[in-house]
Amino acid sequence: MPRAPLPEFSSSVKLKYVKLGYQYLVNNFVTLLLIPVMAAVYLELVRMGPEEIMGLWRSLRLDLIQILCSFFVIIFAATVYLTSRPQPVYLVDYACFKPPTTCRVPFSTFMEHTRLISSDEKSVRFQMRILERSGLGEETCLPPANHYIPPRPTMEASRAEAQLVIFSAIDDLVRKTGLRPKDIDILVVNCSLFSPTPSLSAMIINKYKLRSNVRSFNLSGMGCSAGLISVDLARDLLQVHRSSNALVISTEIITPNFYAGNQRSMLLPNCLFRMGAAAILLSNRRRDARRAKYRLVHVVRTHKGADDRAYRCVYQEEDAEGHSGISLSKDLMAIAGEALKSNITTIGPLVLPMSEQLLFFLTLVGRKLINPKWKPYIPDFKLAFEHFCIHAGGRAVIDELQKNLELSAEHVEASRMTLHRFGNTSSSSLWYELNYIESKGRMRRGDRVWQIGFGSGFKCNSAVWKCLRTVKTPVDGPWSDCIDRYPVDIPEVVKL
Amino acid sequence: MELLWMIATVLFLYSSLSFLWKAFDCRRNQNCYLLDYVCYKPSDDRKLSTELCSDVIKRNKRLSMPDYKFLLKVVVNSGISEETYGPRSIIEGREESPTLDDCDDEVDDCMYSTLDKLFHRTGISPGDVDVLVVNISMFAPAPSLTSTIVNRYKMREDVKTFNLSGMGCSASPIAIDLVNNVFETRKRTLAVVITSESIAPNWYCGTDKSMMLGNCLFRSGGCSFMLTNDPSLKHRAKMRLKCLVRAHSGANDDAYSCAMQKEDTDGRVGFHLSKSLPKVAVRAFTENLQTLAPKVLPVGELALYVIRGLRHRLRRSKETKAYAGKAVRVNFKSGVEHFCLHTGGAAVIDAVGSALGLNKYDVEPARMTLHRWGNTSASSLWYVLGYMEAKKRLRRKDRVLMLSFGAGFKCNSCLWEVLRDLEDGGAWEDCIQAYPPQSLVNPFMNKFGWVSEA
Repeated sequence: MPRAPLPEFSSSVKLKYVKLGYQYLVNNFVTLLLIPVMAAVYLELVRMGPEEIMGLWRSLRLDLIQILCSFFVIIFAATVYLTSRPQPVYLVDYACFKPPTTCRVPFSTFMEHTRLISSDEKSVRFQMRILERSGLGEETCLPPANHYIPPRPTMEASRAEAQLVIFSAIDDLVRKTGLRPKDIDILVVNCSLFSPTPSLSAMIINKYKLRSNVRSFNLSGMGCSAGLISVDLARDLLQVHRSSNALVISTEIITPNFYAGNQRSMLLPNCLFRMGAAAILLSNRRRDARRAKYRLVHVVRTHKGADDRAYRCVYQEEDAEGHSGISLSKDLMAIAGEALKSNITTIGPLVLPMSEQLLFFLTLVGRKLINPKWKPYIPDFKLAFEHFCIHAGGRAVIDELQKNLELSAEHVEASRMTLHRFGNTSSSSLWYELNYIESKGRMRRGDRVWQIGFGSGFKCNSAVWKCLRTVKTPVDGPWSDCIDRYPVDIPEVVKL
Repeated sequence: MELLWMIATVLFLYSSLSFLWKAFDCRRNQNCYLLDYVCYKPSDDRKLSTELCSDVIKRNKRLSMPDYKFLLKVVVNSGISEETYGPRSIIEGREESPTLDDCDDEVDDCMYSTLDKLFHRTGISPGDVDVLVVNISMFAPAPSLTSTIVNRYKMREDVKTFNLSGMGCSASPIAIDLVNNVFETRKRTLAVVITSESIAPNWYCGTDKSMMLGNCLFRSGGCSFMLTNDPSLKHRAKMRLKCLVRAHSGANDDAYSCAMQKEDTDGRVGFHLSKSLPKVAVRAFTENLQTLAPKVLPVGELALYVIRGLRHRLRRSKETKAYAGKAVRVNFKSGVEHFCLHTGGAAVIDAVGSALGLNKYDVEPARMTLHRWGNTSASSLWYVLGYMEAKKRLRRKDRVLMLSFGAGFKCNSCLWEVLRDLEDGGAWEDCIQAYPPQSLVNPFMNKFGWVSEA
């Protein structure tokens, strides 16, 4: 007779409640401790009676000077405490570039262009296979210069693309927030693969006539995680300059980076990278706190460049024929996983509830001292965050992270759908994903968002935001015309 | 109850003292000290003599005789000596098609040699670096140059890297501004900044005159310097940052387009310098000085300026013709002892010098830097500083003003206070005795002097 299978412990309802109870107890430990203390104090006061209490007070023999001194000290202490706290950084609003339909590159267009441009049949077939498994949809967009056969990667076309994407995003942001360009105090621009002189930040200052004492910085070459580096820099600047705001622009300019050769490791960017840009308004002004959408809680940066494998896994180089392109190594997923683990070890203690940290710590101790065969405890980040924005670097990246963090399909839906609709827009993808979550009406007050970006170097950067007010479904924005069609089921392989 | 009173007093004293200490401690982090700097000295086989320049120019078959004459005239009259350095790809004849390896090698050589020396001289290990900033305007590969350095020197995982690019010749003060801001948010932080320029991928091989000037004036150079806000390292520091002013006139269309990297009519990329550059530079300069002057000048000088200004206005209203042209001058030398001027060209140095009321002694470091190193873009300020130090001009409590211009159009300045007598020869060590030379005239003036004739 077949034995009944052992019950799955993790799905037992009773055990779940025990787990919940345990979590609640540990997380609110200090508060719970206060109850017996307060009870004891109250009992003591009741026992002493009012006369004794007055006697106690009088015996302190406080005269006027001492009262004034203590009063002064309390006020002084409070002022110093309040002014030395780090200033909160608010995300007032942000806007993403919505590419025009004329720039769309459906699979058929992409394959037709590839066949006309490339003479090597093998590399054409390779690109087709990449596209089939990429997780991209039919509505991703390439800049006008890439629609030519062959593409025309001139500097003028690159600047034109930059102007199109960046100015559209900023115009949207200005419209949404009522921001006056003359009020911008800090400007940080990141664009990895296009860096003209004067910089893109100077281009923005020229177009919008920003003030002459604006603090501008132009970061370049820092990869797909540069958006969070810009946010980190803006945050540092906002800590120093009171009552200021910062405009952060994250983009990637595709025009100058078309790879014209046939080396396989360098063909992937052609297939995956698409046009996109995001403009973000950050502020530390108290009056913006009322209308801000999010507050920045943490930014954690991890740089794995010291490891040679990690350093070389996304590398710009020339192939044998002299064509310049970005080569992606086969180790990319493994390195991304390692970089994420390093980042988690720093961010975990900052965001995980005490219960998870304690479990992780106990499992670690147990593995080291008692039995190395115990499975390592993966902290449940779903307890720390309601929403996840994982850089839409490619299907494999999202799959890898979903596995590593034990996330459900709904958690990574924003990333997958962004990859499908917009492709890999590099550093701005995190903002398209956030916009997806808002467009789906899922962003509630108090929700915490974790943005994870990966980039060449190899870097893994995280930012944690807390939602300050329930976000109404946006009526405009990049998802406004297609959000009802999402989520879509993305097959493993799209047959071309 | 006596005990209670004593405990209460002790607690109050302790809390007030600890809060006072905290407030004081915050102030201590806000100093930015320059620990050391190392200027790049390329190998001698990379020297670009006038003869070699002439050969390189001749290799461009698209140039006509008038173009050739124009270029040679610029080189001969530039105030640049035979000792300046160029990238290997240009010297070896690959200026029109440099490979990515050429560009990497040029930049890597500069970064590694200066950083090795910097870490060796300061005795600080790369693992202690908390912030890393690289600014190279016209070359930004992926992974970034900051990642290249992190990889080479095996820096920590939590190092904050920033790769600034496209910010032109005045990027040094911008990098210092960035580091200074990070310093104000963290205690005991160490930062390394590398500033240089990439010449190899930016050689212009067309015929547009406005773009050929860059070819003639830019030379290889770079500098790595170490900054910290750790008060315990103050005794080893060379200088302390007193103030920094940035002025961006990019809102004006002329200013934005006067120094711009773009394609010429044939589609070749070059660095265009327009004729309105001097006017734009003056405007940006004035804007910077308007903010800088109150921070740098002593109160007495500012008061005198106000009085002189009022008097000038009163006189002007009475006798319009006599005083119409004269502007009221501020004597910057009352607040600054040494001036590090960006070596954009002989004309730029002279113009800035006369605007600030400087004499030959004051502009000598900039002139000599232009002579010995050429226009090394953002790192030129550090070579000028190196000259002053090698000449033993920098004494304790002296104030040094760094002033630079850059594409955008920006004018950035920063004021340093020297913390101890400085005597290091640095990159000038082997040639400082020969400076200032008897004559700055190009030795090939005889051979190429005909280009100046009609």
